[in-house]
Amino acid sequence: MSADKKRLSLGSIVRRPETGSVIGLVAVFLFFAIFGQITFLSAAGAASWLNVAATIGIVALPVGLLMIAGELDISIGSMIPASSMIFAISSGYFELPIGVGIAAALCFGLLVGFINGYLTLRTGVHSLIVTLGTLFAVAGLTLTMSVALTGTTSVAVQSPPFIKATMGDFINGIYQVTIFWWMLWAIVLGFVLHFSPIGNWILALGGDKESARNAGIPTQRLTIGLFALSSFSAAFVGVNQAILFNSAQVSAGMSYIFNTIVCVVVGGVLLTGGYGTVVGIVLGTMTFSIVNQGIYFTSFNANLASLIIGVLTLAAVVMNNSFRQMALTYAPKKAEKKAEKAE
Amino acid sequence: MRMKNLVAAATLAAGSFVAAAHMAVAADIALISGKPDDTFFQPVKKGVDDARTVVELTGGTVNYMQLVNYDNLGPDAANLIRTAVGQGVDGLVIADWVPDSMDVAIKEAIAAGVTVMLYNSGNIEKANELGAINYVGSDEYQAGLGAGVYFTDLGYKNILCVNHVPGSFPLETRCNGVLEAAKAAGAASEQLPLPPTQADNAASVAQAIKAALLTDPSIDAILTLNPAVADWAASGIMQAGKTNSVAFGSFDMNEAGLNRIKDGTQLFAIDQQPYLQSFLAVTLLNSYLEYGLTLPTMPVLTGPGIVDASNIDATLAGVQNGAR
Repeated sequence: MSADKKRLSLGSIVRRPETGSVIGLVAVFLFFAIFGQITFLSAAGAASWLNVAATIGIVALPVGLLMIAGELDISIGSMIPASSMIFAISSGYFELPIGVGIAAALCFGLLVGFINGYLTLRTGVHSLIVTLGTLFAVAGLTLTMSVALTGTTSVAVQSPPFIKATMGDFINGIYQVTIFWWMLWAIVLGFVLHFSPIGNWILALGGDKESARNAGIPTQRLTIGLFALSSFSAAFVGVNQAILFNSAQVSAGMSYIFNTIVCVVVGGVLLTGGYGTVVGIVLGTMTFSIVNQGIYFTSFNANLASLIIGVLTLAAVVMNNSFRQMALTYAPKKAEKKAEKAE
Repeated sequence: MRMKNLVAAATLAAGSFVAAAHMAVAADIALISGKPDDTFFQPVKKGVDDARTVVELTGGTVNYMQLVNYDNLGPDAANLIRTAVGQGVDGLVIADWVPDSMDVAIKEAIAAGVTVMLYNSGNIEKANELGAINYVGSDEYQAGLGAGVYFTDLGYKNILCVNHVPGSFPLETRCNGVLEAAKAAGAASEQLPLPPTQADNAASVAQAIKAALLTDPSIDAILTLNPAVADWAASGIMQAGKTNSVAFGSFDMNEAGLNRIKDGTQLFAIDQQPYLQSFLAVTLLNSYLEYGLTLPTMPVLTGPGIVDASNIDATLAGVQNGAR
């Protein structure tokens, strides 16, 4: 990034995709620090929104990458409970080794992701519709198989200490280890998007699919890979939830669809693709989680959380649009032009 | 051909009219149930499946109709009632979840000659008002009261009632029951509403409950109204570091909940025995339609039963069979 080469002007900051999300994050944090009780600022208060941010964040990151590439994946809503159930039924109900359950769940994630990507490419139908189809198909399959195999829609599962410690434990009894997985996801995907050629491919793909293909970018493999990544991440969260709460349900997860999209949009990613950063998505996820959980530390009615999130999303979209306009219409002054070219 | 059938049908109808309802009519019964992925309704379905054997013995049928989701509960359920009536059922087993939108449809069904049995949600006053023959189920208010009394008898002073569908009449009624029990014992009770945008997000619900415990340290008892929410609440209580100091009870149960009762981290579960609700409702309605039999017991209460350390082993056996 060349921000340090040229002088850090107000304009150059404002044009970055994550500016809006920083403003949003600071605003909601201050809001709840003032209106929330002192416990909001305590370690347990921080854990409260960090834990939620981590589980949503692991899915929001690859969904964000997909959106940057101009696609959408809503099948994650049924992928999370599906993988939970696959894991719980394998390792809990049938008492297979824990590794088998985890592997089966994650492989199913990859498979669904592959199907999403393949169908999107083959049919030319928008991925919203394709993944809408897999959303319902996977949900129906999960339900049918769960009832057929176990006779119930909720299965208990106990994990051995090692798996519990790495996947579903609490540090100091309050911080989910999922937070570290989220950090790992963010670092790896941040590297991929911003420091590897694949990142440029993703941005190019979202900017203009035709040109990207003509430029020799392997758009097909890239698209399938991104879908596989988001389904895999959703499957990971599903397994993680089952380990964490010692139980899996057929229905838990539909709220992730909209929640991840909100996180990504608040994080400054453009729905139409070609614009966004990993830092932005992380910040957007934190903002979302602070609003969602912060409300419980205030005396306000919890039902207001949805209202705040709605307003915040709209504000983010409007802000992002104007920042993007600034970025697109910006013509550097002569002195800055050289630095820009070096980029 | 068509005319012939019509005449035959008319003769048959007239014949059965003369013979009143005491001739076997091979009753076609429909039962309207919750959404397929709602854990609570699995035993309901098993109850229907078992009752079907009895109904089929007398030549009748049972149609198990399900809601797709709860996003538009009242109108959707009302439409299912109208669908069933349109299919020409003789008897209808229905839960009155949202009286404002469903009562009209139920009255229409009765006016169209369908015999209605209320189950799961409602009470006998409602059944009488609508013209349903009976109510089979738990009394939500009594159940909430029972849960509240369980806590206050043990000396707990501030009960948090976690409502995962704010605005749902049965759930509000449960929390009101808890509140009344608390008041009577000089204790306090409040509701924690979970917005629909996060009511199915495990981490989010767990954190909401933890936050409530941290911001109000006087809360010493928690009641959840659904087995999945109970799983997440257990984690929230643990994260607040209050597994040993906060008493925890839930409506309904799943395997994980029963395990908690067994190992002592959950105090009790309120059991309304959903299997019995559908099984009894269908078989009673069938007996009425086939033989004109009625029970003097009104309502037929299937709950509240309480599962705690004292009867956990027998309950676990029922869960294995899918009946609980």
